[in-house]
Amino acid sequence: MLLKISNLSKLYPGGVKALSNVDLEISNGMFGLLGPNGAGKSTLMRTIATLQDPTEGTVFLDGLDAIKQKDEMRKLLGYLPQDFGFYPKVNAEDMLQHFAVLKGINNKTERKTICDALLQQTNLFEARKRNLNEYSGGMRQRFGIAQALLGNPKLIIVDEPTAGLDPAERNRFHNLLSEIGENTIIILSTHIVEDIKNLCSRMAIMNGGKILLNGKPNEVIEQLKNKIWKILIDKNDLAQYREKHKVISSKIVEGKVMIHVKSELIPDASFTAVEPDLEDVYFSTIN
Amino acid sequence: MFLEIFRFEIKQALKKPSTYVFFSIYFISHLILALIISGVIPLGNSDSNTYINSASGNAGIYLIFNQNIFALIHNIIIIAIMATAVQRDFEFNSHPLFFTKPISKAAYFLGRYFGVLTIALLVFSGQLFGHLVGCLFSSGQPTIGPNNFYNFLQPFLFFVVPNTFLFGTIYFSLTTFTRTTTLAYLLTIVFFLFDLASGAILSDIEYQSLAALLDPYGSKALEKVTRYWTPDEQNVRSLSLTNELLYNRLIWIGFALLVMIYSFKRFSFSQFLSPSKLFSFLKNKRSNISANITIQHISDLPKVTITTGRKAMWAQISFISQFEFKRIIKSYFFIIMLVLGGTFAYFINSFNTLIFGTEVYPVTYNIVGQTGAMFQFMLSILIVFYSGNLIFAEKQYKVDEFTGASPIRSATLVLGKYFGLIGAVALGLLGAIITGVFIQSMAGYYKFEIDQYFAGLYGRTYVNLILITAICFIVQLFVSNRFMGFVISFIVAFLLSKGLGFLQLINPLYLFNSSGPMVVYSDMNGFGHTTSIFYSFKLYWLTVIALLFLFGIRFYSRGKEKGLKARFNYSRNDATKQTGFVAIAFLLVFICTGSYIFYNLKVLNKIQTENEQQEQTAGFEKTYKYLQKIKQPRIVSSYVEVDLFPEELGAKMKGHYYLKNKHQISLDTLIVFYINDLNLKSLTLSVSNKEIINDTKYGLKVFKLQKPIMPGDSIKLDYDIDYFEKGFSIKAKTDIVYNGSFINNFLFPSIGYNEQNELSENSTRKKYGLKPKPRMAKLNDTSAYANTYISKDADWINFECIVSTVPDQIAVAPGYLIKQYTKSNRKYFHYKMDSPILNFYSFLSARYEVKKDKYKNIDIEIFYHKGHEYNIDRMISSIKKSLSYYEKNFSAYQHRQVRILEFPRYQLFAQSFPNTIPYSEGIGFIAKVDDKDPLSIDYPFYITAHEVGHQWWAHQVIGADVQGATLMSESMAEYSAMMVMEHEFGKEAMHKFLKYSLNRYLIGRASEKKKELPIMLAENQQYIHYNKGCLIMYALKDFIGEDSVNSALKRYIKKVGFQSAPYTTSKEFVDNMRLSTPDSMKYVIKDLFEDITVYENYVKDLSYTKQPNGKYKVKLTVGSNKFKADSLGKSKTVDVNDWMDIGIFSEKMEKGKTMDKELMFIKIKMDKPLKSFEFTIDNEPKSAGLDPYNKLIDRMPENNRCKFGVKPVPPDLNANSSNVGITL
Repeated sequence: MLLKISNLSKLYPGGVKALSNVDLEISNGMFGLLGPNGAGKSTLMRTIATLQDPTEGTVFLDGLDAIKQKDEMRKLLGYLPQDFGFYPKVNAEDMLQHFAVLKGINNKTERKTICDALLQQTNLFEARKRNLNEYSGGMRQRFGIAQALLGNPKLIIVDEPTAGLDPAERNRFHNLLSEIGENTIIILSTHIVEDIKNLCSRMAIMNGGKILLNGKPNEVIEQLKNKIWKILIDKNDLAQYREKHKVISSKIVEGKVMIHVKSELIPDASFTAVEPDLEDVYFSTIN
Repeated sequence: MFLEIFRFEIKQALKKPSTYVFFSIYFISHLILALIISGVIPLGNSDSNTYINSASGNAGIYLIFNQNIFALIHNIIIIAIMATAVQRDFEFNSHPLFFTKPISKAAYFLGRYFGVLTIALLVFSGQLFGHLVGCLFSSGQPTIGPNNFYNFLQPFLFFVVPNTFLFGTIYFSLTTFTRTTTLAYLLTIVFFLFDLASGAILSDIEYQSLAALLDPYGSKALEKVTRYWTPDEQNVRSLSLTNELLYNRLIWIGFALLVMIYSFKRFSFSQFLSPSKLFSFLKNKRSNISANITIQHISDLPKVTITTGRKAMWAQISFISQFEFKRIIKSYFFIIMLVLGGTFAYFINSFNTLIFGTEVYPVTYNIVGQTGAMFQFMLSILIVFYSGNLIFAEKQYKVDEFTGASPIRSATLVLGKYFGLIGAVALGLLGAIITGVFIQSMAGYYKFEIDQYFAGLYGRTYVNLILITAICFIVQLFVSNRFMGFVISFIVAFLLSKGLGFLQLINPLYLFNSSGPMVVYSDMNGFGHTTSIFYSFKLYWLTVIALLFLFGIRFYSRGKEKGLKARFNYSRNDATKQTGFVAIAFLLVFICTGSYIFYNLKVLNKIQTENEQQEQTAGFEKTYKYLQKIKQPRIVSSYVEVDLFPEELGAKMKGHYYLKNKHQISLDTLIVFYINDLNLKSLTLSVSNKEIINDTKYGLKVFKLQKPIMPGDSIKLDYDIDYFEKGFSIKAKTDIVYNGSFINNFLFPSIGYNEQNELSENSTRKKYGLKPKPRMAKLNDTSAYANTYISKDADWINFECIVSTVPDQIAVAPGYLIKQYTKSNRKYFHYKMDSPILNFYSFLSARYEVKKDKYKNIDIEIFYHKGHEYNIDRMISSIKKSLSYYEKNFSAYQHRQVRILEFPRYQLFAQSFPNTIPYSEGIGFIAKVDDKDPLSIDYPFYITAHEVGHQWWAHQVIGADVQGATLMSESMAEYSAMMVMEHEFGKEAMHKFLKYSLNRYLIGRASEKKKELPIMLAENQQYIHYNKGCLIMYALKDFIGEDSVNSALKRYIKKVGFQSAPYTTSKEFVDNMRLSTPDSMKYVIKDLFEDITVYENYVKDLSYTKQPNGKYKVKLTVGSNKFKADSLGKSKTVDVNDWMDIGIFSEKMEKGKTMDKELMFIKIKMDKPLKSFEFTIDNEPKSAGLDPYNKLIDRMPENNRCKFGVKPVPPDLNANSSNVGITL
C-alpha cells in the first residue's frame, strides 16, 4: 500500500492557506506527523479522510483517487478525528454497531462478531452497556480506535489521539496502536514528540501548511549530532542570547532558563554539548 | 458594575443582526397587517364600523402575537433574545472571565437580565411602531380613527411589557438553571396548550371569569371586560385596568416577580458550573470500571465483508431507522409531547363540545377530529424539531467526522433518519388512539370504531405528517444550521400555503401538501368520494418531495465543507446513473399525477379566486341591472322529476313551472336565470317566442313572447337540467353524495332579475365601481312589499314531484307520498302537496331508518342514520308538544305530517321546508342531554320546537322583503320554541337559556360591522332576530302575559296568514302587539321593538337583620339606568320609569345542583334611578337583586344580583366611554 499525496493545497474562504503544495509518500507502517497547533495537520488528515476537498492536488491510495472516489476510499479507511463526541443515551455496543453499519458491515453475525472482538481488544467489553458520555477520556479514545478498526481498514488516520490523556492511558493507547498490523498504513498526527518517538518508523514535521522535514526519526536526529548546545542562563539575559544565537528552545529549570542552541560549532566556552533528541529536531525545524 | 454589564449586554445585542431581523419581523408584519385591515392593501374586503387604531383595536392587534401559532413564534423569539443571557457564557466558555473578576452576583445576574429585557422590549416595540406607521399611512380610510399616540402606547404597556417580563423571566430562569433551552421550548408548548384550553373554557359563559384569570397573556381578560363594548365604545374608549383585567395582570406580574426573586436567590456562580438537572434522579450513578488492559493481537481481528448496492442500502436504512427510532422515543421531549398531547386532548374535550352548556356524545369522528388535531399539532412540532436535530445530530454531538469518513451514502443515512422519525410519529399517533378510546370510555361510550380511528389518523393525518416530515428534512438539507432550518421548515410546512391562499393563489398544485377537495368525516357518508382524490394529491406531493430530495441530498452537510456551492461540489461523485433513473421515474409520475389533477381542476372545472368571483358578480350586475325593471309573471305551480344518482354525485332534474301574470298589464318579455355550472339541456316555453339574450357566462336567457301574456293568464316553462360532478374541482361536492344527499330548488331556473345575487359588501362594491347598496329595503319602501323575503319570483305555489334514487335509499321531498314504485332498479317516490306552499322545497336521499309516531291525525316521521337514535324520542316529544301549543295558541297546522330528516354534517343547521325539516347530524342528533341536570338545556328539543314553529312563522306568515322581516319568522320561531320549552321544563330552565341569549346578543352587537338596528328594522342580523328576539319576546310575555301575547298572535295570523302581496311588515306586527298592550305598558313596545334599549341595573347595597319573631328584615338599595343606543352603540341616558322584577333568594338542592329558591319575587316600578326597599321575609336570604333573571337587556348582567355580605360590584353608569379603575 502506498499513499501518495501530490501538490496538495487548501485555501479556505477568507484567504487562510491551510495547506500549501504538500507532497508526501507514505507506505505501510506507522507514520508520524508532527507539528504545532494550527500547522495544517488536521486539514491534511481530513482531506485524506475524504471529509473535504483540496483546492488543488491529488491523493492516491495505490490506484485509488481519494478525492474523486470517496466511497471507495472510505471503504479502506479507518479514521479517528481529533475532536469527537457521541450521541447521548447510547451505549458503546449500540454505537459501535451503528458505526459498523455505516461502514457497510451489513451481515448481522459478522457485525456482532467484529464489534465484540473490538470491544474486547480495546478492553471495553465490560463497559459495553454503559452510555458513552459516561466514559473517561482514555476509554473514549480506545472506543474511537475500535471504531476506526471496523472493516479491516488499509489506511488508519488518528488525529491527536493522546492529547489530554494521563501518562498511563497514553501508554495503553500506544500499545493499542502498535498492535495494528504491518500491512496497514497508519498516520498519527500529533503535537507531542513523545508519541512519534515511541511509535513511528517514519515521520514528517509540518508547520504553516508546509512539510518542513520528512524522514526516519533516528536519521533526522543523526543529522543534528554535534550541533546542539545548551547553557543555563539568567531569565533577563534570554533576549540577549536570542539575538546572538539560534535559540531553538528554552525551558525554566530551577528559576533559571536552560536554552538549546543550534550551531555547527560550539558558540562559546560557556556552552556544553547535548546529545540531540527528537525534540531538538522538532524545535529546530519549526523555529 | 450593574450599569456596565447592562450596557455591555445591550451593546452586544445591538451588534447582532438577529436583533434587527426580529425587530423587522414585528415592524413589517404589523405594518402590512394595518395596511391590509385598513384596506390600503385591498385584500380582505368586509365592511366594518370599528377602528383598528382605537385602544381596544390596538390591544387586539398586539395580542395577535400571543395567539395561536403566532404565540409559538413569538415565544421562540423571546427565548432567542432573553433565555440565553447567562447560559451562553457557559456555552462559549466565557464564564471564567466573569468568575475571576470581582463582580457581584446582583450586578452580573441583574445586569444581564435587564439588558436582555430591554432589548426584548425594543424588539417588540416593532409592534407598536409598525402598527403606528401603518395607521398613519392609512389615515382617511373608514376603518382608521384619529391617531392618538396614547392609544398605541397604553395597550403596549398593559400587555406587551408585562407579558415580555413574564415569559422572559420564566425562560431566562429555566435556561440559566438547566443550561439548555429545551425546557424553555417545551414550556412554550405548554403555554400554547394552556391558552388553547382556557380558550375552550371561555367559550362557555359559565367559566369566563376563571378563564380570564388563567390566561397568562391577558387576552382572555381583555376579551372578558370588553366583550360587550358596542362599536362606538370600541372606537372611543381607552382601556382601563378593572375587574378581571386588573386581577389578571396583577396575578401574572406577581408570578413573574416571584420567579425572578426565586431565581436570583438561587443563582450562584458555583451552581453555574453544574446545571440543575430536571431528571437527575433518573440518571445512573457513574461507576468507574478500572481499565484492566490485557493486550492481545489486533492484527488477527475477524475478517468482515463490506457490502454495497441496493440490498445493502435497505439493510442500512433499516438499521439506522431503528437506531434513530429508539433514540427519539427514549427522549424526554418525545415522551413529554405525547403526555401533553394526551392530557390536553382529554382536558379540552370536556369543554369543546358544549352547545348551550350541553355535551354531545363522544362519537368517534369528533374524538378523532379533536384528539387527532391535538396530536397532529404536537407531532408537527416534534417533526420540525427532530428533522433539524436528526439531520444535524452528527454535527451537534461531534459524530460528523466518524460518519463522514464512512462509506455510507448520504442518501442512505438521511433516509434511515427519516424512517426513524416517521416511525416515531406513527407511534405517537397510536397515543392519539389510546387517548381517544380513553376519553370515550370515561364518558361511558363504548362504541369504539377502531377502523375509523385508523382511517382518520393513519389514512389521513399520518400521510400528511410523513410529507411534512419530508419537507422539513429537505429544508434542513439546504440550511447550514438547524435553527434557521426550524424557522424555514415551519414556514414552508405550515404557513406558506396559508400565505399564498391569502394572496388568492388557490391552485392546490402550488400549495404544499394540499389534499384537494376535502370533506369532514360524517357518520352518514364516511369520507365520501374524496379518498381516491386525496391519495392522488398525496402521490403528486410525494413525487415533488422525492425530486426535491434527490436534488437536496447533494447539499447535505457532510464532511467539513461549508457553503452551498462547496457542499454541492463535494458531493459531485455521489450522483450515479441509478440516481438518474430514479429521478426520471419520479419525474414521470410527477407529470402524470400533476396533469391528472390539472385536467380535473382546470380543464373539466375551473378555479375561481375570490376576486374573480366578485368580478363576475359585479359584471353581472352592471350588465343586467336594467332587467330588474321589467315586470315578470310569477311561478304558481311547480312540477319536477328529480333523479338522484348518489354514486355518480349527480342528478337529472326535469320539470316545469306554470307562470302567471299577476300584474295589471300584459307581459311580453320573460327573463330566466339558471346556474351556469349546470348543464341546461333545454328550456322551452309553451308559447311561441324568440330568444333575444342567451348569456352562458352568467346563465341567463331572455325570451320575447310573440303574444304577450294577458293579466291573469299563464304560460308553461319546461326545463331539463343535468347536474353532475365532472371529475373533481377545488371544492368538494357536498350536496349530492354517496349517502345523505340534500339539494333544494335554488338549483332550478328562477324568473326575473334577483337583487340578492349582487355583491353585498359596500367596500367590495366600491372596488368594482358600484354604488353602495342597503342591506335591505327600508321598512316604508312599499314597492318591496310585493315580494316575500324568501322568494322574488313566486308567492304561494302548488307543488308536486317524483324523486328517484338508488334502491337502498329513501328519497324525500315536501308533500305527501302518493305512490312508491320500483322501475329499472331504481326507487321512485311520488310526492304531492295538497295546500299552497312557498317556493322553497328540498330533496333528500339517504339510507334512512324511519321512526314513526302520530299526534292526533298528524303523522310524525324521523328519518335518521342508523346509530344516531339518541335523541329521536326527544324530537318526537318536541314535535308533539309544539304542535299542541301552536295549534292551540296560533292557528291550525296546514299539513298532515311533520318529518325530520338527518343530513351529513357538512353544514350545521336545521331548516324548515314545508312539512319537512332537514336536520344536520352534527347538531341535536348526537347531543348528550343530561336529564338529571335541571339546568342542562335540551337543545334537540328546542331546535325541533323552533323548526316546527317555522311551519307557522315563515310557512303561514311571511314578511315582505323589507327591514324587520325576520321578526315574524326567526324571532317568532324562537318565541314559540321558548314557550314550548317553558311549559315542558319550567321557568327555571329558561333563565339559563336567556342568559346565553343575552350574552350572544351583547357580543353580537359588539362585533356589528355595519349598524345595529332596532328589531323592527333588523336586516337579517342573527344576533338581533334570534338572540334579541328571544329576550324581547320573553320580556313582553312577562309584562303583558302569555295569553295576551298569544291572542295578539292568533289575531295576526288570522289576518295575514297565507296572504298575497303586498305582504305584511314588522310595523303591522308591532302595531298588532301594541293593540293588546295596556296603556300603562305601551312604553314597553317602543323600548323593545322600535328602539335599541339597554339597561344598567345593579345592586347598590343590601343587608338583612333577623327579627325577634324569627322573620328576616331585608334592606335593599338598587339602581337602574336606562340608555337608548344608536346604530353604532353610542348611548344616551334616558329617564327610567319602568316596571321590573325584584327578588330575594335562598338556595335549594335539586338533583344534586344548587338552585335558586325564590323567597320573594315581585314587580316594582323603578321611577327613580336609585331606590331603597325594605322587605320582611320568612327565611334567611342568600342573595337579592333587581331584574335578577336578566329579562331586560342589561349591559352588565352580573351585577344585577348580589350575595348578602359581599360588596356589590360598582356599576358603570355613564352613557359612553367612561373608565372606572386604574387608567394609565
